[in-house]
Amino acid sequence: MDLVRLSWKNIWRNRRRTIITLTAIAFSIMLVQALHNLSFGVYAGMVDSGVRAGSGHIAVYRNNYLESRDETLYFKDGSLVDDISQINGVEQVLPRLYIPALAQSSRESRGVMLIGVDPDRERQVNPFLKTLPADGMIRSTDSRDAVVGTRLLHELQIRPGQKFVVTAQNEDGTLHSELLRVRGVVNSGMKDIDSSLILVGLGRATQLTGNSGSVHELAVILADAGLEATVHRQIAAQFAQGQDILAVSWEEAMPNLANAIKLDYASQKFIFMIILLIVAIGVINTLLMSVMERMREFGVILAMGSRPMTLRCMIMLEAVILGLLAAAIGTVLGSLATWYLVAVGIDLADLVPETLEFGGVVFDPVMRASWDPAWMLRIAVYVVCLTLLAAAYPAIKAGRTTPVEGMRHH
Amino acid sequence: MSLIELQDVSKIYRLGSQEIPALTGVSLTFEAGEFAVLAGPSGSGKTTALNLIGCLDHPTSGHVIVNGLDLGTASKKALADFRLQNIGFIFQSYNLIPVLTAAENAEFTLMLQKVPKPERRAKVRKLFVDLGIDGLENRRPADLSGGQQQRVAIARAMAADPHVILADEPTANLDSHTAEELLELMRRLNREQATTFIFSSHDDRVIAQARRVIHLQDGCLADDLTISK
Ligand SMILES: Nc1ncnc2c1ncn2[C@@H]1O[C@H](COP(=O)(O)OP(=O)(O)O)[C@@H](O)[C@H]1O
Ligand SMILES: [Mg+2]
Repeated sequence: MDLVRLSWKNIWRNRRRTIITLTAIAFSIMLVQALHNLSFGVYAGMVDSGVRAGSGHIAVYRNNYLESRDETLYFKDGSLVDDISQINGVEQVLPRLYIPALAQSSRESRGVMLIGVDPDRERQVNPFLKTLPADGMIRSTDSRDAVVGTRLLHELQIRPGQKFVVTAQNEDGTLHSELLRVRGVVNSGMKDIDSSLILVGLGRATQLTGNSGSVHELAVILADAGLEATVHRQIAAQFAQGQDILAVSWEEAMPNLANAIKLDYASQKFIFMIILLIVAIGVINTLLMSVMERMREFGVILAMGSRPMTLRCMIMLEAVILGLLAAAIGTVLGSLATWYLVAVGIDLADLVPETLEFGGVVFDPVMRASWDPAWMLRIAVYVVCLTLLAAAYPAIKAGRTTPVEGMRHH
Repeated sequence: MSLIELQDVSKIYRLGSQEIPALTGVSLTFEAGEFAVLAGPSGSGKTTALNLIGCLDHPTSGHVIVNGLDLGTASKKALADFRLQNIGFIFQSYNLIPVLTAAENAEFTLMLQKVPKPERRAKVRKLFVDLGIDGLENRRPADLSGGQQQRVAIARAMAADPHVILADEPTANLDSHTAEELLELMRRLNREQATTFIFSSHDDRVIAQARRVIHLQDGCLADDLTISK
């Protein structure tokens, strides 16, 4: 206890130097914590819009459908939609049928991917549909209403309200056509989507293919992305024995997004490591300086009968106190910065006029942080450990002096 | 058995390839309760001799036996423990720890001995009264005069009740009046509490106060006089 008090007093011997070092460490912690929380929030936002526009947090497919996209790999969903909806933490279950088709207007024709959806459920989730006006949405699952991408509409040279025809292969091998009417227009800002998207009611879609009651995909949206693992297990438990279907996470279903996030975070981690390395060098410098200045005093302390270990402990204690203090201040600053980034965020709209796309997902131009307290604590602990590590050499150096050597210093 | 015995002690410092003999074949004994001075000009080996007596350094040859123990090959840790229990030090430039108060400085060896705080406090308070520095307990060394600092250093050296107090030119940084007072104080402690003092000096006025004067010359024992008073 006395040693702690002595270490505390020693830290404040050179007040200015200590304050500068503390500030440097604290700011680094703040920077790392705030940056991480910002990324954490932005990634979460991207995953959220990604899963809502794509195949959900968890998607249910026939085996191999994900790899082959073979349209014959559909399955009867039966009561699965209702059963999965019952699971705790499931916000929505979206049944979908994907049909490669030919879209023809009186002037043009295009190859498209027709998607049969449950319009009410889809509307609540899909970010592209949320912005549609009330009269722009498919009215019922059997209606001839279609929601079409804006580029595709342009290419087909038709306008909202006008009719067009889609043709696809029926289950029995024959070609089948359906007349559709443009009800709503999606302008996502993403070329792929805007030039190929056609959404129709699931009922109408199965008339084209003749496989009523079948889907290719059940996209499961969760209330909280963190529940994925638990819900995943519960969904898998719903499948009947021998049923050839499986649940996959969004990371597997949308590897582009998952990899883009991983890569982005990896480069950030590298920056964090460099920041922490610079901190460590600063701490080593401070502690080494303070040790070199006190060699004479260490000689005296050793002469009076202090063990070298006691001296080493004292310097390690000084480092721990410095580290803890910096971690505390840094975490407070990091929390303030995070609070700002959560509440206000950074608006990229002024900087980047185009639609922001990342890993195939459009995201909000306002970057917002999200709290990750466990990680913030981890960084604080890392920094304390780093300070300890940085103190090792100065401490060993101090413990290695002999009283006679130490007292020769001036 | 003598308190301290130096048997044919030599110390040779090495500076690169050069050998500097600091002490050559010195044999001395000190009894408990002595008040002895190591006298001699600068470079005669006084500090070296005190360092050896104080178990701060090992002799190149010969034996130093303190309180019946020859610590010639002891580890740094064992030496530290031995010093903590047996030897008090006073230095020319006081060497108090600047961030600690006078009382905390005086308590330092007791703290190393893990003596409980109240006991430490009581002991140091009494010492401060004895040494005429009561009332200065909470001052920092920087706020004390040289004489006051050296008294605090004496308190620090005496606090753990060592067998011997070694003082390397304790008055060299003090004006002659303060030096005399300090020496008088040490003599009183020696008389009243039988504290053993061995100190070094090159100042004739200081040397004249000692009961035993050991003259060193170029690292050799030149003279060992006990003055009966
Ligand atoms: N660490 C050392 N390295 C080399 N030579 C030393 C060292 N310490 C002392 N000496 C030399 O040993 C001799 C005796 O020194 P010292 O004991 O300090 O004398 P004094 O204290 O009487 O002035 C001197 O010549 C001095 O230069
Ligand atoms: Mg000397």
